[in-house]
Amino acid sequence: MTEQSLSYSSPQMQDESFLLEVNNLKMYFPITRGIFARVKGYTKAADDVSFFIRKGETVGLVGESGCGKTTVGRCIVRAYTPTAGEILYRRADGAVVDLAKLQGEELRPYRKDIRVIFQDPYSSLNPRMTVFDIITEVLKVNKLAQPEEMRESVEYLLKRVGMRPEYMQRYPHAFSGGERQRIVIARALITNPRLVVCDEAVSALDVSIRAQILNLLEELQADFDLTYLFISHDLSVIRHICDRVVVMYVGKVVEIAEGLDLYISPKHPYTEALMSSVPISNPRLRARGSRIRLPGEVADPSNPPPGCYFHPRCLYAQPICAKESPPLRLLDGTRSHYVACHFAEELSLRGATMEE
Amino acid sequence: MSDETLVEVQDLKIHFFTDEGVVRAVDGVNLTVQRGKTLSLVGESGCGKSVACRALLHIVHPPGRIVSGKILYHRRLDNGLSETVDIADMDPKGREIRDIRGKEIAMIFQEPMTSLSPMYTVGSQIMENILLHTNMSKKEARALTIELLAKVGIPKPERLVDEYPFRLSGGMRQRAMIAMALSGRPNLLIADEPTTALDVTTQANILDLMLELQKQYDMALLFITHDLGVVAEIADEVAVMYLGRIVEKADVDTIFNAPMHPYTQALLRSIPKIAMKREELDPIKGMVPSPYRRPGGCPFHPRCTKALPECSTIVPAITKLNENHLVECLLYEDLATRKAMERPS
Repeated sequence: MTEQSLSYSSPQMQDESFLLEVNNLKMYFPITRGIFARVKGYTKAADDVSFFIRKGETVGLVGESGCGKTTVGRCIVRAYTPTAGEILYRRADGAVVDLAKLQGEELRPYRKDIRVIFQDPYSSLNPRMTVFDIITEVLKVNKLAQPEEMRESVEYLLKRVGMRPEYMQRYPHAFSGGERQRIVIARALITNPRLVVCDEAVSALDVSIRAQILNLLEELQADFDLTYLFISHDLSVIRHICDRVVVMYVGKVVEIAEGLDLYISPKHPYTEALMSSVPISNPRLRARGSRIRLPGEVADPSNPPPGCYFHPRCLYAQPICAKESPPLRLLDGTRSHYVACHFAEELSLRGATMEE
Repeated sequence: MSDETLVEVQDLKIHFFTDEGVVRAVDGVNLTVQRGKTLSLVGESGCGKSVACRALLHIVHPPGRIVSGKILYHRRLDNGLSETVDIADMDPKGREIRDIRGKEIAMIFQEPMTSLSPMYTVGSQIMENILLHTNMSKKEARALTIELLAKVGIPKPERLVDEYPFRLSGGMRQRAMIAMALSGRPNLLIADEPTTALDVTTQANILDLMLELQKQYDMALLFITHDLGVVAEIADEVAVMYLGRIVEKADVDTIFNAPMHPYTQALLRSIPKIAMKREELDPIKGMVPSPYRRPGGCPFHPRCTKALPECSTIVPAITKLNENHLVECLLYEDLATRKAMERPS
């Protein structure tokens, strides 16, 4: 493992508005071989990931499958213990803790502060538990309250997410995908969280239901004062819901920018390619022909290419790209546009096709 | 019927006879696929789009059954003549349909992971289809397989032909599936959500590839998807399906810029757009009803914002707004019938 210089210089949670700051997060999964499980190498699912989330904002984490976006989300909720790096979290009382260093019991108070909404509402609900049990399980496990005392809160919350409270005693099989996702959301909110990690929360839903859930998430954010980390591969959903967007490619952050800024003037060639491949729902704006076709395949995170991981597919690659890995840096002349590309200033890249 | 018509589906009904009741998955569908054109079938899950398309190959799994309707396939013969066969009438296990399946009409599915067998090499699975439908020798079939793999953009096809599917990425598997579908030189390629499981950049490449091959092979494409963005990119004609019926059918520009059916309009309003301004989404209220409790009248009326009192009792008939634009909605039916009545006088 080579230590990379910390070039992403953020004021280390000095800013009062930061709720979470991830610094140089690394999550390596060992690849083992043979009966003695000899370690043959590492899959670098997250490699030097840094970004921050302000209180009350929605940050999008985008990238294609295997880019490590889910891994980052899981490290933040501490389902994984990161290999290295910091996950600084500002508690409600203002104190800052590094979640990456905590273990076991020490994490318990934060389990209720940071919650997750998963992608597939069919596999994330236990079919043998009633809706009431599912929603209150976290309270029982974390000894926050006796479930019996929670009946009123569960009723309130179910109503809030648009379900009838009478359904509390039913089992998940009785509900459709959209309703199940509402239950998943109620389960995430029962502990009064401050940060919710939405991992592809609407990707498995139909168009009409997806719009309902997206609107619900926005309403809840305002009502419960929530902060979202919204992980998705869908750039139109991200555009709709996120204030700022973090783009990942093979375990690394390649670009961070304000939502509109990223779509209008991407500074990383990978972001440009992503933007150009989004299907536009207007036949008059057909991108046919002008679309950027990326050659080759996404790099293997256990055996990434040298230098910039994107260089073998990059249309603008120069010799230096194969040698030096570009650090994530603040783009000159901007306040909040970070990019990891040697030529970010020189390139003039095309943004997404805008509908109206 | 013009000479350019390839497949005509007439009043197709496929019902599933389950213990809980009869599910009318496809309930009177009319479709026309033109030679060399792309028809896109859009709808939410459970609307019957996959069932309807599989029926074109006469793949209907029990307890489902084609209850009524015709699937007319207009086949051009070598001697310049043409004949029309009814696929719905064929024996699903018979010789006739097996000659069509995988040869004249081919299909690719959503999950490239599950539609290739893990036990056989990619090459042998494609060769199987060639050997089945042609008189080629194994050697010739293998050469053709490599040619096809190269055509769909697989690097080093002569090596990949002997690889097992697990060695391929999702995008590559879908390319291999397309190669397999092309091996019979089909007149019609049915693609059931072929890019839904893929990443956006891969999706873009696969869509481009399909359009390119469509031109090269002059084949018709029946593209099933729930993603309106994909529809806008590739379709010539669009049919919108809701609860087993086609509620609106028109050319792609009309569907996106002048939709008439309230369901189509609502669908378009509910998709997030990449735009300068972030606007609140306008979702369709409620959800798709259970197939066992289909609403009476127009199936969409409980969720429709423009519903009239009559909508809960009268099943709307097909209204022809113009030559290419069909809609099933009472809002337009009145207008049209009135016009029809006025015309004689």
